[in-house]
Amino acid sequence: MFLQLALAVFVAAAGSVTPLASGAASAERPCGSPYLVDQELPSGARWQLCWEMRTIEGLTLNRVTYVPKGSPAVSVLRSAALAQIHVPYDSGEPRYHDIGSLGSAAIPLTDADCPGGERRKQVVCVTTRPRGHAYLKDGFGDPDLRRSKQGRELVVLSAYQVGWYTYIAEFVFGDDGSITPRVGATGSLAGTTTAPKHGWPIGVGSRHFEESHSHNVFWRMDFDIQGASRDVVEQYDFAGNKTKKRALKRTVLRRETKAVNQRMRWWRVVDPKVRNTDRHPVSWEINNSDSAQYRGPSDEAFTRADLYVTQYRSCERLATYNVAPRCGKSVDQYAGRERVKDPVIWVNVGYHHVARDEDADPMPVHWQGFRITPRDVTANNPH
Amino acid sequence: MRRVVVVAAAATGVSLFAGAAVLLTGEDAPEAARTARTAPSPGDPLTPGEISRAGTIATGPSQEHMKAGRVELLYVERDDDKAEDDRRAEAYLYDYADDSLIVRTVDLGDNKIVRETRGKGVQPPPSRREETTAAELLLAHPKLGRGVRRAYANAAGRELRSAADLGLRGLIYSQPGGPCATHRCVRLFVRLPDGKHLDTSRIVIDLSAKKVHTLEW
Ligand SMILES: [Cu+2]
Repeated sequence: MFLQLALAVFVAAAGSVTPLASGAASAERPCGSPYLVDQELPSGARWQLCWEMRTIEGLTLNRVTYVPKGSPAVSVLRSAALAQIHVPYDSGEPRYHDIGSLGSAAIPLTDADCPGGERRKQVVCVTTRPRGHAYLKDGFGDPDLRRSKQGRELVVLSAYQVGWYTYIAEFVFGDDGSITPRVGATGSLAGTTTAPKHGWPIGVGSRHFEESHSHNVFWRMDFDIQGASRDVVEQYDFAGNKTKKRALKRTVLRRETKAVNQRMRWWRVVDPKVRNTDRHPVSWEINNSDSAQYRGPSDEAFTRADLYVTQYRSCERLATYNVAPRCGKSVDQYAGRERVKDPVIWVNVGYHHVARDEDADPMPVHWQGFRITPRDVTANNPH
Repeated sequence: MRRVVVVAAAATGVSLFAGAAVLLTGEDAPEAARTARTAPSPGDPLTPGEISRAGTIATGPSQEHMKAGRVELLYVERDDDKAEDDRRAEAYLYDYADDSLIVRTVDLGDNKIVRETRGKGVQPPPSRREETTAAELLLAHPKLGRGVRRAYANAAGRELRSAADLGLRGLIYSQPGGPCATHRCVRLFVRLPDGKHLDTSRIVIDLSAKKVHTLEW
């Protein structure tokens, strides 16, 4: 109640700035059962979204909205989905593009695959799980001052059988407002034999060298913070390498961009007119520091950047082998010089898989993904 | 570099609207009647009824070509263009004779095709039906087909009856310069009953030319 009043006062003062309360989020029911996910976590944080099992992209999440405890809802993503899994082998061949029709490759899940959760249409699991400490602050002997809380997260996942591999695709929504898209590769190794320099000996002795390869996973994330208008992408760097000081450097990406990872570099999508009660613009930060940063030959230009910013176009769906006539064919082509009024972010996360004895069989899952964290969505820690 | 092995075209009958039914799962079937009564919300996936309706409308202009086996409906996907408020479906059709992809957008409110785009060199993922067709072409290949049958018999302890006995997954293969730059080509993952996969990494099935290409590297 107090918060609502504070917002009302703030609106009067700020004029054109849009307070969170007047956002378009959850105005009408965007989807029905069983496609609606509306999950309040024990801390009071709440996530709302719609899922769809698309024929080509597989699990796609639409209209993702975050509701921090005690705050109005703020819409984050219009759409989030896998956009490609590129698997080049270290000897040069084969080079797979693993997005076939993922919707028809989705594996029916069992209750054991979805502990404590709910299976939707057999192929989607919606569940929650602990995520460790949300925070820990000592009371220095005073138990009343001591603050400690365990966090929890909402998980929406599907699994696909692509050849001998099983891919588990998770979208994880933390009760701290974070979003972690990630893919886990499991199932079985290919069993491809190669020369020692391209592989690793598995099985008895050193006769079978299993071929090393990369999994370059691309996601397409259409950010719409309180609607498609006004969103801006910024890149942050901190100058001063090998000196004592670090100085913040902001680059506004007004045009389409092919960006590469750098130490300390991160990006954010910000709507300058949507403000928290501290009058700071609401944004989500994107960090892709865990990628192996595979760079392929010139005819695989899509591998040569880690994050792409493109102007929204409905025909641009996959990062490679796009499916629409009269449209770009891969993400490096989408990222031209156009002015960005409604940004779509494409994140490329590579993992170099060098097989080991433990990988047989079934192969233990190896994960790859990236982090999206709220930056100034709320004026303080609401939980 | 590439050795092209020509095999006799397998006889593949084409039935109308086959693609539309591919995505229906057992769970969806009884729901069809229910969802027909209550209108779906804007963000809901297409209902089985909407998928078959969109398929029927989108294939209308291609009836002759479909009967002749020249054009196939691959699948129907919801059109999620956020600039559009109307409920729409996109039907993917492939014309193997002139190697072009046809995407027809169907407005599900007034049951009309509202947009058609066509292009060459654009290859959406293979449909389930195409995966089977590709396996039939592979089985019809004199040398490779024999190899698949032998591997199957060893794994299963009985003879292979048809492509349906194999676990199949197809991915598009495209290579600038070769026939698969313009043709619709797929790579197959073939799973045998003992859980093992055949080494098919060098085999490419050209659905346009009805040939099997063997890659060399
Ligand atoms: Cu791997």
